Parts: sequence; structure tokens; C-alpha cells
Amino acid sequence: MMLIAVVTAFAAGVLVILSRQVNGRLSLNTSALESSFWNHIVGALVLTAAALVFGGLRDAQVTQVPWWAWLGGTGGVVFIAASSWLVTRIGAAQTALLIIAGQMVSGVVLDVIMGAPGSPLARIVGVALILTGMWVSRAPKTRIRP
Amino acid sequence: MSDPTPDLSPHPLSFLAAFGAGGLLSLMVLFNGTLANYGSLLFSSWVPHTTGTFAAMVALMLLRPGRRLKVRAPLWAYSGGLSGAVTVMATSYALNTPLALSGTLAIGLAGQMIFGLIADARGMFGLRQRMPSVRDFAALLLIVAGSLILIFLGRG
Repeated sequence: MMLIAVVTAFAAGVLVILSRQVNGRLSLNTSALESSFWNHIVGALVLTAAALVFGGLRDAQVTQVPWWAWLGGTGGVVFIAASSWLVTRIGAAQTALLIIAGQMVSGVVLDVIMGAPGSPLARIVGVALILTGMWVSRAPKTRIRP
Repeated sequence: MSDPTPDLSPHPLSFLAAFGAGGLLSLMVLFNGTLANYGSLLFSSWVPHTTGTFAAMVALMLLRPGRRLKVRAPLWAYSGGLSGAVTVMATSYALNTPLALSGTLAIGLAGQMIFGLIADARGMFGLRQRMPSVRDFAALLLIVAGSLILIFLGRG
């Protein structure tokens, strides 16, 4: 059971990269924004089909949702367009690493703003390591093989 | 800045854009996670994909970005949203196992880094091939270590 869970979690990470790489390839022929459009419409169609088969949309309390929670999709358009643009320029590993760094650091900032409990020492050490890593990576020279 | 050829080392602009995109991702996790409080996990993924489709259509009509090439991309290049949708399902499955949020994030991070390095080294899916330098690996170790500390020790 645990093995299936680990494989699934690992596969989710692999799929993030796969999706980014494929969207990046599409942006080479079209544009980063158009590749983001196709990513969203294909995802929407797949999820609508899944909803028709398995259900899961009917019982949502649509009127109760705070207005700002509807903005995730618009943010997603910018996010996928930016990812497609980035992966063709700095590669899959750098893109993933820097996005994770930004996500982790901003996650700590959000937690502090919202007063979420957590260890201050771990937060300081974690953010310091990430910023040091970014500083190391920022220095020039990324060797590539033709 | 004016050099039109793609830079090989992370350009300051790409660097900031990637870090900013990570910040945007944090907000999306918060927004979409809030949706999940008012409906199923499917609802929390269906809403952003559907609203995003319309937002992207509006943005395309307003900005009218040109196409880089006249040639059509191969059909499979349109399938990015498919693996994106499957990712949502895989993640929500893993979250409900003993791995919970920390384990799912940490293992997903490993999956991203390992497959990212393979995709770069092979130049997979028609993108440019690139080999990581020692410096890249040092940066990777530092950022992954910092992320793991935040994932496992940073929350109360």
C-alpha cells in the first residue's frame, strides 16, 4: 500500500515536469500564452469528462465561496505561460528548482502573515539555505553540451 | 538585456520570473485549496481550469501574441493539460495516504528534480539539451535541503 502511495507521489512530480516540457514545446511553435490556453482547455475538458463519469460538482456550495478563491484559474494562466516561457530558456531542472524556491519562501511569508504556527528556527534555516542555493545558481556558467 | 539569443545561464529576468511564478503558485494553492473547502477535490481543480480557459481566451484576444512559427506543432504538444489534470488526481490520492501533505510534497519534489535533470540531459520533447554543472548540483542540494527543512520542520 505504502509503495503505491510513494510511486503515485513521485509520479505527480514527474507529471509536473512532463506537462511543463510539453507546454514548452507547444510554445515554440505558438506562444507562451497560447500554450497556456491549450493547457487549460484540455484540462477543463478532461476534468469535465471525469465529473460526468464520477460526479463531484453538483454538491459544491458555490454561493458560499469567497470571491478571491475564484481567481486561482486566472493566476494559473499566468503561471503556465511563465513556466512555458522559462522551460525553453533555462531548462526543466532550473525552472523547477527556482519555482520551488519561490513557492517555499513565499509559503513561509504567507504563513507568517496569517499567523500559522511553526518553528521560527526551521523557517530561518530553510529560507537561508534556499536563498544561498539561489545565490550559488545565479553566478554565471551553466555548461551545456550541444 | 538586449541580447536576443537565449541565455544559457539563468538570466536575471528568467531568474526573477521563476521565483515570482513560485510565489504565484503559493497563492494558487491557497485559492484552490479554499475551493476544496466548499466542494470536492474535482471541483477545486475544475473551477480553475474552466475560469482559466476563459481568462486565457480574453488575454489572447487582447494581447494577440503572434505565432513563432508558421508550422503547426505536433499533436502531442497539445496534451500538456492532460498530464496536468492527472497530476491533480495523483496528488489528491497521495495526500489521503499516510504520506500526508509533507510526504507528498517531499516525494513530488524528488520526482520533479530527478525527471527535470533527465529531461534536460536528454533534451526531451524537442527542447534544448543541457548538462548541469557542478554549480547547478550545489544549488540543487542547497534548495532541496532548505525545502525539506521547511516541509518537515517549518510547520507547527
